[in-house]
Amino acid sequence: MKQSTTSNVDVKGALVKKGAFHGFLTSSPIALLPLFLFLLVFFLWPIGALTGNAFKSNEGAFTFSNVTMLFQDPYRMAFKNSITLGLLSGLVGAIPGLAIAMAIEKQGNQTLKKFIASISGVLANTGGVPLAFMFLAAFGPAGLVISALKSVGLDLYGLGFTLFSFTGLIIVYAYFQIPIMVIVITPALTSLRKEWKDSAANLGASKFHYWQKVGLPILMPSFIACYLLLFASAFSAFATARALTVGNIALVPLQIGALVDGNVTINQANLGYALAFGMIIISLVAMIPYIWIQNRTARWQVR
Amino acid sequence: MSKDSLTVKGLSRQFGSVLALDNFNINVAKGELVALLGPSGCGKTTALRIIAGLEKSNTGSVTLNGKVITDEAAHTRNMGMVFQAYSLFPHLSVAENVAFGLKMRKVAKKKRDKKVGSILELVGLGNHHKRFAHQLSGGQQQRVALARALVIEPEVLLLDEPLSALDAQVRTNLREEIRRLQLSLGTTTLFVTHDQEEAMAISDRVGVMSNGRLEQIDTPDVLYNTPATAFVANFVGVMNHIPGVRSGKSVSIFGDSYKVRNLDGGDGHVVALIRPEQLDVEEAKKHGNARVVTRSFLGASSRIICELTDGTIVQSLKPSSESGGLHPGEMVNLSINTKEVLIANA
Amino acid sequence: MASAMKKNFAANLVLIVTGIFIFFPLYAATEFSLRNGAEHTHGFAAYRWIFAQSGFIENLGITLRVTSLAVVLNLLIMVPTVTWLHLSGQRYKRLVEILTILPLIFPVVALATGAQLAMPDFMQNSVYELSFFYVVIAMPYTYRALDIGLSGHPLSTITNAARNLGASWLKTLSSVVIPTIRPSILAALFLMVALSLGEFTLAQLLHWSTFPVWVTNVSQQNVIGATALAIGSLFFAWILLFGFSFLGSKNSTTVQEEE
Repeated sequence: MKQSTTSNVDVKGALVKKGAFHGFLTSSPIALLPLFLFLLVFFLWPIGALTGNAFKSNEGAFTFSNVTMLFQDPYRMAFKNSITLGLLSGLVGAIPGLAIAMAIEKQGNQTLKKFIASISGVLANTGGVPLAFMFLAAFGPAGLVISALKSVGLDLYGLGFTLFSFTGLIIVYAYFQIPIMVIVITPALTSLRKEWKDSAANLGASKFHYWQKVGLPILMPSFIACYLLLFASAFSAFATARALTVGNIALVPLQIGALVDGNVTINQANLGYALAFGMIIISLVAMIPYIWIQNRTARWQVR
Repeated sequence: MSKDSLTVKGLSRQFGSVLALDNFNINVAKGELVALLGPSGCGKTTALRIIAGLEKSNTGSVTLNGKVITDEAAHTRNMGMVFQAYSLFPHLSVAENVAFGLKMRKVAKKKRDKKVGSILELVGLGNHHKRFAHQLSGGQQQRVALARALVIEPEVLLLDEPLSALDAQVRTNLREEIRRLQLSLGTTTLFVTHDQEEAMAISDRVGVMSNGRLEQIDTPDVLYNTPATAFVANFVGVMNHIPGVRSGKSVSIFGDSYKVRNLDGGDGHVVALIRPEQLDVEEAKKHGNARVVTRSFLGASSRIICELTDGTIVQSLKPSSESGGLHPGEMVNLSINTKEVLIANA
Repeated sequence: MASAMKKNFAANLVLIVTGIFIFFPLYAATEFSLRNGAEHTHGFAAYRWIFAQSGFIENLGITLRVTSLAVVLNLLIMVPTVTWLHLSGQRYKRLVEILTILPLIFPVVALATGAQLAMPDFMQNSVYELSFFYVVIAMPYTYRALDIGLSGHPLSTITNAARNLGASWLKTLSSVVIPTIRPSILAALFLMVALSLGEFTLAQLLHWSTFPVWVTNVSQQNVIGATALAIGSLFFAWILLFGFSFLGSKNSTTVQEEE
């Protein structure tokens, strides 16, 4: 119980000493400076620059002409295609994704869950040429599935189907859209408390009624949010679209790509920025509701 | 038998290698509040969930008002259930939550609103119709859950540790409210808890469970004064374990002889189970058989903690007026003021 | 027991059908990649071809170096910031949450055009400019991984306890804070690596040759080889992630329910 007074002072001194790391404990937001600067330089500045140039004419004057050109073909077509692709691919990913996520929850096996979580992680990041070639091997003109069907008399390519089409894109996109959906909707599913299911049953709701009156209404905001995420993902996808289409489908990311690649006259440089700006606007329209919904439902997902 | 609302016979439930329920039987009379009391893992919640229809048993039957409901789905049993927490639907308001069961039963809107209004008044939340779960305190949420379960006028009310997640003060108040409601509505109630004070305070009868079996079911008084097994004796209320020597039907403690209440067990060194109020403390004039450790003033009573010569710690509960003169470190004489004692193995 | 099987029947059916759709292209591609040209025999010729390609080592090296820098940048910027937020900066959490989710909103294609426009020449002349942008693109995910991981621990409480027991700030950070949050750091870094190894769009549009870009170009020449490359990298990433999920999981936040 006895302590020498000197060691007491030493200990106290250490606590009060304003050493190099005492500043770490400061609650001044100066600690956020590195992050702010980083985002400013490598994010806000590029975005700001391109927004500025979207409204510049070749002489440097302010103009809307770049943006108005977006409403004419071929750019109008590209936007229409990209938006449609986003909407459809979103559905094709969201609905099966939800069903699969529900099936996984139902199944309950822990190892299976881990397995699926890791596959989903990999598949969600799969895209571009590797993905395209995988599908070529299965659904390309000489693909396994196509040949197998041909041998039983069903010539899909003869009937007009081709992987290098809008439909093909949607099929291929599904390969990473569905895993993204599974990853993003699973937290919402697990936040469906067992007590709600039990209470509903206890109060007289059959399984169907539970889903109709409790389960789906609670899930709906998250489902919509995830759908928006999938929309944005398909709308902005570049690598896979570039691998599968050979310029036969007008898509905004590809057009920007073409302009950036340098096949461009001076006149069209600012057009590229206008296109990028258009992409940003549409993305904002989808993602801001996404963020807003996720914030609000986080309240229910106490876990 | 016809007075019984709920009859449970021979319920067993196995989870893998664990026997959660082992031949569980219970009868609950109409309007009775029975508590199932026990430590976690004793099977009380499993029994409740089987009765509710949320789980299936391996063997046994559940009968409600003469009708066997063992195989009926949960949503057709017409029982009200309140869970420990989180049971309110987050996307519905308080009023909508309470109305849920009535909606399932296709009660007309006017009648529904009237019933919801009156039950919310009854639980003291008449002004909270439009609130949502996350805007309510824990105690308020549980009261809404209670209202929701009672408004459908269930045959049986099942409560699964409804107070365990609440603060101490809220717990005490809410348990009285539950009892008050249950009595005024005459609802047959089965109440699961691990808090023995809670169970004893408001129940007509208490069933003590351990390892999937029902050890004893009796009124609180009987349970406290004449526990049937050592487990019940230790779980309900506080018990001192005082060493003694037994021979045949009598046991020697502190040099005096007492009659042994339980008939099983052998002779030799045993432990006597003595309630704090059965232990008297007196200042020792010459030698004593214990030394005072602390005296805790609890208001009308005081708790005197003493240490026996062999190191055993015991406590006595006496009116404060009688124990004012006792101080830590003092030698005292302990004696037992009953004639019959319960014995357990040492 | 039989009813439990029936209950899971629909779930199992969905999972089996999903399994077929997921694995079929994989199977087709694997089979294809093992073919020996036009003959109907199988072998690893295509895989040998990959390694024989000039540029394989070089481009892999470029990607690995870019990834390493991205990881270091992440460590320097994200980890201290999130740790500070949890220790003394709770007030600013909302603000940072909004900031870090911004990159998610803006398409990478758009960012690429802006980068080309805005970045000074010395940046644009180095492939390492990619590292900086990768950190930005990964930010929504890395921030969240760190935030969720750190939330599972009462950081301010344990640092206060350590300080109270006499540890200097340096000692507190090194022997208490860092070991506690190490799994979260690993998780965030792993996200960074996964993104960086596979990132194509930004690299392509900024005219850099990284491994994914090289793979795309090389694929034009040899269909079987390209398929082998695709399958190979997929399985490799898969094994990596699967193994990692077991590594990180031993710290998984077990939030206790109220007693």
